[in-house]
Amino acid sequence: MSKLVIGHFYPDLLNLYGDRGNVLALMRRASLRGIEVEVKRISIGDDVKNGDIDIGFIGGGQDSEQNIMADDMKNVKGDVIKEMIEDGVVFLTVCGGYQMLGKYYEEHTGNRIECLGALPHYTVGKKERFINDCIYEIEIEGKTVKVAGFENHSGRTFLGEGEEPFMKVIKGHGNNGEDGFEGAKYKNTFCTYSHGSLLPKNPDITDMLLKLALKRKYGADYEFPELSTETEDLARKQALDYIEGKQGIQQ
Amino acid sequence: MGLKAPAQAAALITKGILRIMGRGATTLPGKVAIKMCPDIISKCAKGKKIITITGTNGKTTTTHMITSMLRSLGYEVITNVSGANLASGITTTFLCEKPSKTADPDKIVYVLETDEAAFAKIAKDLQPKVCLVTNLFRDQLDRYGELTHTRDLIANGIDDTSAKIVLNADDSLVASMGKTRSDRASYYGISLQTMLDNNRLHPNNTILEASSDAAFCPECKVRYDYQARSFGHLGDYRCPSCGFATPVRRFELSYDASGNPSDEGFPFTITDTEHDVTDTLNLRIAGSHNLYNTCAAVSAVTRFLEIDRGKEDGLFEQACKSTQKVEAAFGRMEKIAVGNKFICILLVKNPVGLDRALSFVAQSSDADSLMLVLNSNTADGKDVSWIWDVDFESKVDDLPSNIYVSGQRYGDMMLRVSYSGRTVDGYGSLDYATTLLKGAISECPDGKCIYILPNYTAMLDLRGRLVKDLKLKDFWKD
Repeated sequence: MSKLVIGHFYPDLLNLYGDRGNVLALMRRASLRGIEVEVKRISIGDDVKNGDIDIGFIGGGQDSEQNIMADDMKNVKGDVIKEMIEDGVVFLTVCGGYQMLGKYYEEHTGNRIECLGALPHYTVGKKERFINDCIYEIEIEGKTVKVAGFENHSGRTFLGEGEEPFMKVIKGHGNNGEDGFEGAKYKNTFCTYSHGSLLPKNPDITDMLLKLALKRKYGADYEFPELSTETEDLARKQALDYIEGKQGIQQ
Repeated sequence: MGLKAPAQAAALITKGILRIMGRGATTLPGKVAIKMCPDIISKCAKGKKIITITGTNGKTTTTHMITSMLRSLGYEVITNVSGANLASGITTTFLCEKPSKTADPDKIVYVLETDEAAFAKIAKDLQPKVCLVTNLFRDQLDRYGELTHTRDLIANGIDDTSAKIVLNADDSLVASMGKTRSDRASYYGISLQTMLDNNRLHPNNTILEASSDAAFCPECKVRYDYQARSFGHLGDYRCPSCGFATPVRRFELSYDASGNPSDEGFPFTITDTEHDVTDTLNLRIAGSHNLYNTCAAVSAVTRFLEIDRGKEDGLFEQACKSTQKVEAAFGRMEKIAVGNKFICILLVKNPVGLDRALSFVAQSSDADSLMLVLNSNTADGKDVSWIWDVDFESKVDDLPSNIYVSGQRYGDMMLRVSYSGRTVDGYGSLDYATTLLKGAISECPDGKCIYILPNYTAMLDLRGRLVKDLKLKDFWKD
């Protein structure tokens, strides 16, 4: 079987708040299943074609670093990214990466920055930042799962037609602090504001992404190997207990 | 405008009350004084010889080194307590720490560790003789903002003074501050040859590169070309667009890359390239990052001596010699005996700090156990995502056989260790930390050491527990 290729977009510019942990989680839970993994760094100056990668990851960066890569993303890699998203390549995008896939970002001064427009959401910047430990809920294969995360954003994102929310907010603000939802989902592209890092503590989401990518790669009858989530569940439970204020003496 | 004398009296009274209440008095007296007399810092600092130390990592250790060096050179040094590095802490230092009555007023120096953002605000009032900037690494970005912004804040502070500036040449963000201030800047760093040897002998075999800061020239938006690296974004760099490159290091450190630069006593040289003088030194505080700190301290002290004594010969050599009496600061890199075994606490506050501490433990021959303690209070940063920015993966094979995790977020740290390919031998909340530690100590062979890496509030919490549960004397009270 050919190896699973994770395309890490702009890793030397978009690497805030543990974005690296998401890539590590995908690598680990794939390789523990005996699947060979390659991580391709796709930054300024690197070429990428549709078909090169099975999972794309786009994180967030500091404003000055997002300014450095924004042109490249819009003018050089934009069409390929759009094509891959439409074709159903699995994508996970976090924070800045989420915002940049949308139509535009309106700064709190009213200045509007055009984004890639691969997805129909838009973002409005506000002065007050949402900085919180978060709990979300998501349904995966009929099972409702609690998700532990952390949000840190001043943008309020509003979804467009054809997009669905990724998760439901139990604690925290989510997309905009108004509609009770967190993130966006379109075909096999998933967007979120959640750091933490998101995937390590929430292996159900890691596995959902891997399964989608592997079935797409090897065919619908590919059997996704079972793998224990014991360690991850323990970490998630402790984080959820901490966020809910339930921490006592534990060992 | 308020009055200095009543403000000082109020500060001293506040300090007295805090001491009676059994609490440390490192910032509140200053806060009271600033309220009563907003220009108290400029009044206190007027006419004084001041050296400031700022940057994200290495401030406390470098401040401690400079203090010790100047003392052995015959100066009477007044310095702020570790962490009391905001306007309030510095004011407290001015008002509550007094030189001895017999001190020669000409020989009194204030060595002040200064928070990056606070520096921008108070540099004008301090009017330091020498400003040292160690490095700029990501550090709780949600609290401090962007690195280029931090750099600009420090640069603005420098422009409010006529101080000589001592900059880390290997850090592109720090060195860029010298571009338009070349008449008063001098640079220090590790020699290109040493970095090249190091990269050749110890190639980084990580499965996923650590998250990097400052990979691109912020002015040209073009990726730097690196000839060699020391760690993080520190190295020998050049922007292919504007040509900005590692400046000539006046103070250049070299060592034999086949040795272990984490060892206490490790030999290295510093060359004053302006005068072509080289001195051989021994590393007084273990840890390869302390090579940078030592070089920074030698550079700052040499520059200070040149201002204070005029450009006489031999000042650089005197500065080098004075490093050889430096001892580890209390509770930092200091080994504490527990029976025939040792514990050693290394405070880690941000990704590069944890990266360096893990490297150090991996290279330490006496390491029996490692304990990572992670909290997420406001002072630590509420977000623990940063532990994933650190490259554990390339170091785990060399970490000690026993790894324990604790703190408010022990689950996150347990998973971090586990995802690097190692399992933890014990985990639990802070209430369980000393139980874990007692177990680790009982299994530790004589002469070996348990390295504890807590973040800020975890360290404060742990200290109290060590005193209470392990019956260690409160060695942190300075």
